[in-house]
Amino acid sequence: MAAVDWYLALAVALFCIGAFGVLSRRNVIAVIMSLEIMLNAVNIALVAFANFVPAGAGKGTYFVLFVITLAAAEVTVGLAIAVANYRLRRTVQVDEFSELKG
Amino acid sequence: MTGGIWYWLLFAICAAWVLLTGIGVVALKNIVHAAISMVLCFFGVAFIYVLLNAELVAIIQILIYVGAISVVILFAIMLTDQLRGRLRLFFNQQSVFALPLVVAVAVVLTWILVTADLPGATSKSQNLTLAALANGLFNRYVFPFELVSLVLLAAMIGAILLTRRED
Repeated sequence: MAAVDWYLALAVALFCIGAFGVLSRRNVIAVIMSLEIMLNAVNIALVAFANFVPAGAGKGTYFVLFVITLAAAEVTVGLAIAVANYRLRRTVQVDEFSELKG
Repeated sequence: MTGGIWYWLLFAICAAWVLLTGIGVVALKNIVHAAISMVLCFFGVAFIYVLLNAELVAIIQILIYVGAISVVILFAIMLTDQLRGRLRLFFNQQSVFALPLVVAVAVVLTWILVTADLPGATSKSQNLTLAALANGLFNRYVFPFELVSLVLLAAMIGAILLTRRED
C-alpha cells in the first residue's frame, strides 16, 4: 500500500463512524457533531491527495480551506435552527420534529 | 519526512486517537462528554494535518474547529434542556438499518481504495508552501474566496434572525 492509502483508509473509517452517528443519534446536536466528524474525514482525504498525488499539486488544500469555512457557516445555521426549534417544541430529539410530515 | 518508522508510529497513534474519539462522539450518552470527545477528535485531525505537511490547515483546524465550532456547540448544549423528552431511547429506530448501510459503504469504499491505482502517488510530499498557497488563494481562487465571505455573512445574519426573540 502506498502512503496515501493509509490516510484514505483512515478517512473512510472516520467518515463511516460519522455517517452512523448522523443516521442513528436522536439528539439533534449530536447529529450536527457527527456531521462535523464526517466533514473532517473528507478533509483528511483531500489533504492526503494534495500531499501525495503530484497531479493535484497541492490543490486539495484550497478545497479544505473552503470546506472548513462552509462547515463553520453550516454549524452556525444548524445550531440556530436547533435552538429555535427547541424554543418552539421544547425538545431536541430529531424524531419528534414532525411538523412537515404529510 | 514520510517513510520512517517513527513517522508511521506517529501516524498509527494519531489514527487510533482520531478513531477512538470519533466513536466516542457517536456512542457517548452524555452530550457534554460527546462534545469533549469531538474536541479531542479535532485535535487529532490537526496532528494528522501536521503529519501531511499541511501546517496552515492544522492551525486553521485548531482555530476554527477547536476554538470556534466547539464553543458554538457547547453554547447550543447550554441553551437547550437535554433532560426533556423520551431519554430511554438513545439511538432511534432506524439505527438497525443504519449499521449495515454504513458497513456496506465502508466495504465498497475500501474495495475501491484497494483496487484503484492512483496515478503517480508518491511518498514524497507535494504540498504547497505557505507563499504559494497564499498566491493561489488571492489570485486564482479569489472569486470563491470572496463568495465564501458572503456565505459567512449570510450565515451570521441567518443565525441571529433565527434565534432572536420576537417580543
